[in-house]
Amino acid sequence: MNLSDCHNFDDFRILAKKKLPSPIFHYIDGGSDDEITLNRNTSSFNDYDLIPSVLNDVSNVDMSTTVLGEKIDFPLFPAATAMHKLYHHEGERASAKAVEKVGTIFGLSTMSTVSIEEIATINKGPKLFQLYIHKDRGLTDNLLERCKKAGFTSMCLTVDTVVAGNRERDRRTGFTTPPKLTLGSLLSFALHPGWTINHLIHEKFKLANIIHMTQKGTSIDKSVIDYINEQFDPAMNWKDAEYCVKKWNGPFALKGVMSVEDAKKAIDIGCTAIMISNHGGRQLDGSRAPLDQLSEIVDAVGDKIEVILDGGARRGTHVLKALCLGAKACSFGKGYLFALAAGGQKGVEKILENMKAEINRDMKLMGCRNLKELNRSKIIYRKN
Amino acid sequence: MNLRDCHNFYDFRELAKKKLPSPIFHYIDGAADDEITYRRNTNAFNDVDLVPNVLRGVENVDLSVTIFGKKLDLPFYCAPTALQRLFHYDGERAVGKAAQKFNTMFGVSALATVSVEEISSIIDTPKMFQFYFHKDRGLNDSCLERAKAAKFDVMALTVDTITGGNRERDLKTGFTSPPKLTLSSLYSFATKPMWGINYLTKGKFELPHLQDYVKEGTSTNTSIGNYFSTMLDQSMNWNDAEKLCSQWGGHFALKGVMSVEDAKKAVDIGCTGIMVSNHGGRQLDGSRSPFDQLAEIVDAVGDKIDVICEGGFQRGTHMLKALSIGAKACSGGRLYLYALAAAGQAGVERALNQYRLEIERGMKLMGCTKISELSRNNLRFRKK
Ligand SMILES: Cc1cc2nc3c(=O)[nH]c(=O)nc-3n(C[C@H](O)[C@H](O)[C@H](O)COP(=O)(O)O)c2cc1C
Ligand SMILES: Cc1cc2nc3c(=O)[nH]c(=O)nc-3n(C[C@H](O)[C@H](O)[C@H](O)COP(=O)(O)O)c2cc1C
Repeated sequence: MNLSDCHNFDDFRILAKKKLPSPIFHYIDGGSDDEITLNRNTSSFNDYDLIPSVLNDVSNVDMSTTVLGEKIDFPLFPAATAMHKLYHHEGERASAKAVEKVGTIFGLSTMSTVSIEEIATINKGPKLFQLYIHKDRGLTDNLLERCKKAGFTSMCLTVDTVVAGNRERDRRTGFTTPPKLTLGSLLSFALHPGWTINHLIHEKFKLANIIHMTQKGTSIDKSVIDYINEQFDPAMNWKDAEYCVKKWNGPFALKGVMSVEDAKKAIDIGCTAIMISNHGGRQLDGSRAPLDQLSEIVDAVGDKIEVILDGGARRGTHVLKALCLGAKACSFGKGYLFALAAGGQKGVEKILENMKAEINRDMKLMGCRNLKELNRSKIIYRKN
Repeated sequence: MNLRDCHNFYDFRELAKKKLPSPIFHYIDGAADDEITYRRNTNAFNDVDLVPNVLRGVENVDLSVTIFGKKLDLPFYCAPTALQRLFHYDGERAVGKAAQKFNTMFGVSALATVSVEEISSIIDTPKMFQFYFHKDRGLNDSCLERAKAAKFDVMALTVDTITGGNRERDLKTGFTSPPKLTLSSLYSFATKPMWGINYLTKGKFELPHLQDYVKEGTSTNTSIGNYFSTMLDQSMNWNDAEKLCSQWGGHFALKGVMSVEDAKKAVDIGCTGIMVSNHGGRQLDGSRSPFDQLAEIVDAVGDKIDVICEGGFQRGTHMLKALSIGAKACSGGRLYLYALAAAGQAGVERALNQYRLEIERGMKLMGCTKISELSRNNLRFRKK
C-alpha cells in the first residue's frame, strides 16, 4: 500500500498505521477515557441527512469563503496540532508547504517542532498560530510578539486543555516526547525502521517555539500529559483571554468553546471566531460532539461571530452538513496528520485536494453554487 | 498483569478475573436474567453529553459533598456489598480502611464478613449499615442495636431484595457461600491457588451479624438466592419500614427506591435519603437504570431528602453526569469490588484515587470548582 492507494480518511489512517511506530500512531488516533466522544464526533454526522435540489446549473461552483479575515479557496483548514516531526521527519515544513499550495489557512501549534519564524518563510498564505497559556506568562507575550513580527494572520487560544485528558492508549504504549525506547515500545520502533531512521538522522527533536523558555519537553523524556499538567496554567480565565485578544489586535479565535454562555463571552471580549471543539475527543470524554452542539451556538451567536466546527469531519459531505447548520468553515486534525505520516508534504496535499474535490462534487450534487446556498432547508435530523 | 497496570475500571475487572475462582468472579460480575438492566445502568450515561464552560480559573477544585449530615471529601462512596472476605481475605477491613483514607462513606452489608464492632474500632469516618428485614425479629433488633452501639451514622434498609434475583451465572457456576467444591468449580478453585490458600489460612469465614441466629449463612453452604428467599420477610411493608426508621432514630435511607410515588412515601415515613438503585442489575432485569430515572425522582423529592444515584458508575464523568442531574452523591459496588479482589486495601485505594482523579480532571475540563456548580444546564440529552 502506498500514497496512490489512499482515497479517503481510512486509507490514510491505515497507511499511517503501517508507517508509524505504534505509540506514535496511537497518540494521534486515540481519545480520552472510553473514546465515546471521539467516536460520536464523527458518527454524529450520520444522524443528519442532506436534501439536494436539482436542475440548478452547477457548472460553476464557488467554494471560497472568508475566515478570520482571510479569503480561502474552500471551507476547510487543518487545525493546529502538536509535534509534526513525530509523524514525518520534515514536520511542519511539509504540512505548511502543502497547505500553501492548496489555498487554505495553516494552523501552527505552540507545541510545533518547527519555529514560527521558519514557517513564515515557507508559507506565505494565511497562517493561524495556536496559543497555549503557560504558567510562565512571559512566554505568552513572547509568542504573540513573534507571531506578529513573522506575519501570522490570526491567533487562536485553546481553552479546553487546562488539564490533560486521560489518554489511556498513551499510558499503555508509554508514549513520550521525544520518543523514549522502553522495552514495550522497542519492538514497535524496530518494526518501523523507516520512521526510526529518519527520526534519528534528521535534526534533533525539539519544541521549536518554546525551547528557549523551558527545558521541559525538550531534553527530558516527558509524556504530553505531564507536560500539560506541569506547564499549562489551570488558573487561566476570561481576563487572560481578553488580554491576549487586545495584545494581538487582529483576527482572534477561541478554540474549545462549547456552551452558548461562553460563546457570548467570546463576543464580549472581542473575538472574531470561536471553534466549537472538544479537542478531537482527546480531553473530556462524554462531552458533546461539536456537530450536535452547533445549531444551539449558531442560533445564539451565529450573526455576531464566526463559528468554526472543529473535529470529526472526515468527508466533504460532513463539511457541507456543518455549513448547512450554520458553520462558517470546518477544521480537522487527524485526517491530515495521518496523511503527513503516510506521505509527508505530498500526503497532506493529497488529502486536502481530496477533501476539496469531495466538497466540490457534493456541492454540485446538492445543487448549490456557493456556500451561502447551504442552509437549514437542506438538512434534516433523522430521528432514530 | 498486576496492580500497577490498573488504570481504569476495566483493568481492575480483568485483574480480579485473573485472581478469583470463576464462581466468585461471576458472583460479583453477574446480574439477573439477560443482564439488560445491568448493561443499561452504564450505557445510560452515554445518552447524555456534557457541555463544558471554559476560562473559569480551575486551579483548585473542591470535590466534597454533604449527605446524611456528614461531609465527605468525595462525591461518591462504597455501596454496601455482601461477603467481602470471599473476594479478598481482608474483606471489609480493606474496604473500610481505604474509604477512611479518602474520607468517604463506607457501607457495611448485613451480610458482611467482619463485624460492625470491629469495623467501628478500625475506622472513625462516616459509616452506613445496610439492613435486610429478616423474618426473625430478634435478628432484626440485634442488627439495629449493634449498629447503633457501634456508632454507625446511617441505616439503609434495602427494599429491592424481597426475593432473590435470577442470577443465572451463579446457577451455572454453582456459587454458594461459603464456597462449596462442586466438580465444575473445583477446577477453577484449583487453578487459583493463592485465593484458596488465603481463604483457608486467614481466619474462618463468618457472617458475624447473622451467625448467632441462623445456621444458613455460616456453616451450611447456601446460595445467596436461597438466603433471600428463605430468611427475608416478604411481608415487609411501609409500616415495617416506618417502625424501623423510628426505632433507629437517626439518618435512615431506603435503598432500591425507583418510583416517584415510593420516593414521596420515603419522605413521609421520615427517611433522610434514598438510593435510586436496582441493586446493580442483580434483581429485576428490565427495570429502569438509576440514571435514567434520576431526574424524575430529584424533581419530586430532591429538595426534601438526599437522593443518591447508585449503580453503573465506571468513570468519573459518569458521576459528573449524575451529580449534574441533581444527585447529592453517587454510590457503587463493582467500582471498588474488582479492586478489592485484585489487591485488597491497596487495590481499593488505587481505585478510589483513580476515580477521584477522574472526577477532578473532569471538573476542571467542565470549568467547575465545586460540585454544586454542576447543573442540568451543562447536559444535553441525545435526540431520540
Ligand atoms: C495528534 C494531535 C495533536 C494535537 N495537538 C494540538 C495542539 O497542539 N493544540 C491544539 O489546540 N489542538 C491540538 N489538537 C487538536 C486539534 O487541533 C483538533 O481540535 C482535533 O484534531 C480535531 O478533531 P479531528 O482530529 O477529529 O479532526 C491535536 C490533535 C491531534 C490529533
Ligand atoms: C457482589 C455484590 C454484592 C452485593 N451485596 C449487597 C448487599 O449485601 N446488600 C445490598 O443492599 N446491596 C448489595 N449489592 C448491591 C450494591 O449495594 C449496589 O447496589 C450495586 O453494586 C450498585 O451497582 P454497581 O455494582 O454497578 O455499582 C451487592 C452488589 C454486588 C456487586
